[in-house]
Amino acid sequence: MQSNNGYYGEFGGSYIPEILYSSQQQILHAFEEAKNDPAFIAELKDTWQNYSGRPTPLTFCKNLTDHFGGAQIYLKREDLNQSGAHKMNNVIGQALLVKRMGKKRVIAETGAGQHGVATALIAARLGLECTIYMGAKDVKRQYPNVFWMKQLGATVVPVAEGAQTLRDALDEALRDWSSSHEDSHYLIGTTCGCAPFPEMVAFFQSVIGEEVKEQSMAQFGQYPDRLYACVGGGSNACGLFLPFLEEKEVEMFGVEAGGKGLELGQHSIRLSNGLGQKGIAQGFATMFLQDENGQLQETHSIAAGLDYVGVSPIIAHLAQEGRIQMTYAMDDEVVEACALLLKKEGIIPALESSHALAGAFKDAPNLPKESRIVINLSGRGDKDIFNIAKAMNDATFPDFLEDYLADYNEHLSENNNQGEA
Amino acid sequence: MSQLAQYIAEKRQQKPILSMTHVVYGYPSVKESLDWMATLLEAGADFIEVQFPFSDPVADGPTIVAACHGALHDQTLTVEQCLKDIGQLGRDFPQARIALMSYLNPMYRYGLEKLVKRCAEENILGLILPDLPYEQAGELREYCNAHGVDPVWLVTPVTPKDRLAFLASEARGFLYCVARSGVTGNSNHNGKQQSLDDYLAEINEHTNAPIGVGFGIREKAHVDALKGKADVAIIGSALLDAYNKGGKEEGLKLFNSLFNA
Repeated sequence: MQSNNGYYGEFGGSYIPEILYSSQQQILHAFEEAKNDPAFIAELKDTWQNYSGRPTPLTFCKNLTDHFGGAQIYLKREDLNQSGAHKMNNVIGQALLVKRMGKKRVIAETGAGQHGVATALIAARLGLECTIYMGAKDVKRQYPNVFWMKQLGATVVPVAEGAQTLRDALDEALRDWSSSHEDSHYLIGTTCGCAPFPEMVAFFQSVIGEEVKEQSMAQFGQYPDRLYACVGGGSNACGLFLPFLEEKEVEMFGVEAGGKGLELGQHSIRLSNGLGQKGIAQGFATMFLQDENGQLQETHSIAAGLDYVGVSPIIAHLAQEGRIQMTYAMDDEVVEACALLLKKEGIIPALESSHALAGAFKDAPNLPKESRIVINLSGRGDKDIFNIAKAMNDATFPDFLEDYLADYNEHLSENNNQGEA
Repeated sequence: MSQLAQYIAEKRQQKPILSMTHVVYGYPSVKESLDWMATLLEAGADFIEVQFPFSDPVADGPTIVAACHGALHDQTLTVEQCLKDIGQLGRDFPQARIALMSYLNPMYRYGLEKLVKRCAEENILGLILPDLPYEQAGELREYCNAHGVDPVWLVTPVTPKDRLAFLASEARGFLYCVARSGVTGNSNHNGKQQSLDDYLAEINEHTNAPIGVGFGIREKAHVDALKGKADVAIIGSALLDAYNKGGKEEGLKLFNSLFNA
């Protein structure tokens, strides 16, 4: 979606410290040039295909469709990307742009760790130095991702400021960029931040919706009636929705994290129920969860990738216009939706993507049998194994963890003894 | 002429360089922060740059970030009370001036027009918002023009030459020259950079407004190096580091060593 000088209605813009002006302008121009350069687009498509496995399938879910007895349910399988999530589409695009700009280092923020891993993967492949900022709380919650980032050669910096989650990681990444802008690129993971980041990330993610257009025509001869996507920062939703903007008969539904309840601090609902208010922070104007004095507030979701305090200015604008309908799913509904997909279709969804499932499952039984809905399965759930086991109250998991830990420690002490001998 | 620029010009008749000391409002408590500001003014500070805390201060380094988060941790701070408090401080020390620094969001929520009007009423004549670039500040500039308050623009060593010339020519009360890349506080930046002298000489070519220099000023030599080239030395993180280490006494010792030695 083309912005109006960086704005989408009243949202977006570029509110950054003066020190970043030149770097921001450099990205603006490099992106404008690159997206109109057939050689760049060809390299992008080649890397998407041969490194990340695109195009991803559009999978018809017969069992789920029969189960609900309403709309025909399709999943867009972004979980099958290299790295296991749609994040890969964007990091490939931006990393190729980094090479084009001649920079040697990338900085990224990460919440759940998916964007951090994706960035570390592409940095390893393209020979870029890589520093990932991650809230100290998220480092604890998502340690397997931290492990992989380190193995891939990235430096992971736990951010102990503030609430120690995604928003603090983003602040810290901006601070790094302020002192390293000459040789570093801030590889933001979602459709947020100062212009041109929302537009650029949406451009790289729009491959999702473009593929759905082709695949739906090929599989059932028309566009879907409805699209569903979870909305954290908004990148997978932008990716699925934006190519369909002009198709007025296609309805779009964004699903935010309802968390544990609608009190401030218990959820990440910014775009419905009057819970978010317009603000300007972290480089752009959007709807933020904040108090009456303009201080940004803590958020919660069972899915670390959705508990962001702001939201894409593109989604905020389209929601305000009524083009996207916003809804939310609670933590427990999300776990139920995840369990249902496992049992019915043999697919393990990420908890983030399970929000989109939960939102769609509420509507599916009430929709006509001939209608078709596409749900964006933005990522796979392997990374969530610990959290899902806990949420499902699996009683046997702790035994496994204890045994594994004992074995692990024994292994370490044996190796240490050998080292000393 | 801007009231603020006039104040600086008059004071500069008596002093080779003026001092602007930065204090975070509400840190460690509102009372203690106001008390610390008064102490600095008694010691002869020419300006206090009062930072109204924001939860996400992206242009600040660890020292000031920690103070902002500390100030917001267990108390509710309002812009209105802050303006009343520092307005009173200004009336108690009429020989000095107060500038307000914050990030855009708390000010935006309070209302930019109301903010500028209230600043004028409280004789707070300079407004520093590091995440509000000139291009995005159309409304704020109008309100400021109407009420005689000066928005303070920042320039940096990596600001492109034509932009530097433009921002310098737009400066009224004073121009805030960031001395180096990075956030406030101790620097780990080691990129190539033109000398501070050349940078300030270039800025002087383009502006009639006074020049303030901040970021990384921690020693007397840093302040002395600005004499004859700038009008105001801005000291923030170093002062807060000293205050954190040994309270007002240690902070005052640093202030005196920089400006009264």
